[in-house]
Amino acid sequence: MANPKIKVVGLKKAFGDLEVLKGIDLEISSGEVVCIIGPSGSGKSTFLRCLNRLEEPTAGEIFVDGESITSNGADVDRVRRHLGMVFQQFNLFPHYTVKQNLMFAPVELKLKTPVEAEKTAIRLLDRVGLGDKVDAKPRELSGGQQQRVAIARALAMEPDIMLFDEPTSALDPEMVSEVLDVMRELAEEGMTMVIVTHEMGFAHDVADRVIFIDDGVIVEQGTPEQVMDHPQSVRTKSFLSKVL
Amino acid sequence: MSLSSLLETFEQLAPMLAGGFVTTLQVTVSSLIIAMVLGILVCLMHISHKRVLRGIAKFYIWIIRGTPMLVQAFYIYFAVPQLIQLSTGSSFRIDVFTASLITLSLNAGAYLSEIFRGSIESVDKGQMEASRSLGVSYATSMRKIILPQAVRICLPSLVNQCIITLKDSTILYAIGLGEIMYQAKIYVGRTMESFATYTWVAICFLLITSVLMLISRTVEKRMHA
Repeated sequence: MANPKIKVVGLKKAFGDLEVLKGIDLEISSGEVVCIIGPSGSGKSTFLRCLNRLEEPTAGEIFVDGESITSNGADVDRVRRHLGMVFQQFNLFPHYTVKQNLMFAPVELKLKTPVEAEKTAIRLLDRVGLGDKVDAKPRELSGGQQQRVAIARALAMEPDIMLFDEPTSALDPEMVSEVLDVMRELAEEGMTMVIVTHEMGFAHDVADRVIFIDDGVIVEQGTPEQVMDHPQSVRTKSFLSKVL
Repeated sequence: MSLSSLLETFEQLAPMLAGGFVTTLQVTVSSLIIAMVLGILVCLMHISHKRVLRGIAKFYIWIIRGTPMLVQAFYIYFAVPQLIQLSTGSSFRIDVFTASLITLSLNAGAYLSEIFRGSIESVDKGQMEASRSLGVSYATSMRKIILPQAVRICLPSLVNQCIITLKDSTILYAIGLGEIMYQAKIYVGRTMESFATYTWVAICFLLITSVLMLISRTVEKRMHA
């Protein structure tokens, strides 16, 4: 890979004595959609959270666009502007309206005037199918709607990478597809995406690459066909037999 | 003891009671304002990453929570002036209102700081993470995302602490602050009308605390609406 968008070298993370990530090496190119699968507790969410330093790595280095984000001098706040993050629990700001949720960061960081930010917010909300909810409060929305707002909020910062941490795990089954549809569109538009997910069908459809993580290491990776249809490792086979 | 004698006592008691009540309100309201600022400062020290600041905050809260307010009042009114006198050699006195103000402020400040800290910590951790992941700094996230939510959470406990501080101010009669309890004791000493006098004192407090409780309940209802 000539100029990887994200490059991870020897990434380790321990919580006290518990080593969650035991040395991860990975390169992700621009526009690539990577789905990370694996059993719960395997370290896949921790890995994702290291990518925008919500977790501080214990060892190893992470580069975004060739620039180290783990060195001492790295400006974490600046790096995070390029990395949108969507959480399992949505984490919308309950004291703001839907529109204000999207306007908060761009206005606060003086990237946009309130007028510009509002225009962008309305355009993005239209795009995720919530043009009629701009002035609603988050608690008036269903889970699926809240997660679509959360995606729009991340997009309002105009990131070039989107991180998804089990975005559909907290949703009622009938709301999963509306969120996956939005993500699928993003993927088609060429967004670089790293997605931790339990939605095997979605991963198979959308991913350029599937990575199977177990016990803090990458066990297997490749195209969805390679990893999900013809797994080589015993651990991957055993995991897939349980979830498929 | 009849209702008419209760009312009769009230007529003679009212001016003294009113004077005492003004002092009670003065010391309570000023203390609460000082305690609010103190509480925010101590709370920020307590959740800061600097060990020394955390240590100071914990020590202060430990002292206040671990000693009776009566002892604190005596300490500030009698013990501290003597300490200053002994160490500087010159005479030092503190007037009773100032001592009362310091006691009540220090006391309420400690409890308020714990109320504030609890409220901040009860805001979902995901809120800070969501804000930080958008590239917003810790300080701005605290100010714009965490604190507005913490304020709503702490309002009922805040009103409750106001009620406690108002009631605790009666303890200050022991160092001679001319508040409502002090005036009542003087009146009883003169007339022996314990029952009527203390009934009126209780009613006075009930009136104010009831209003505060009503405010608290309205605020709570509006928050959940």
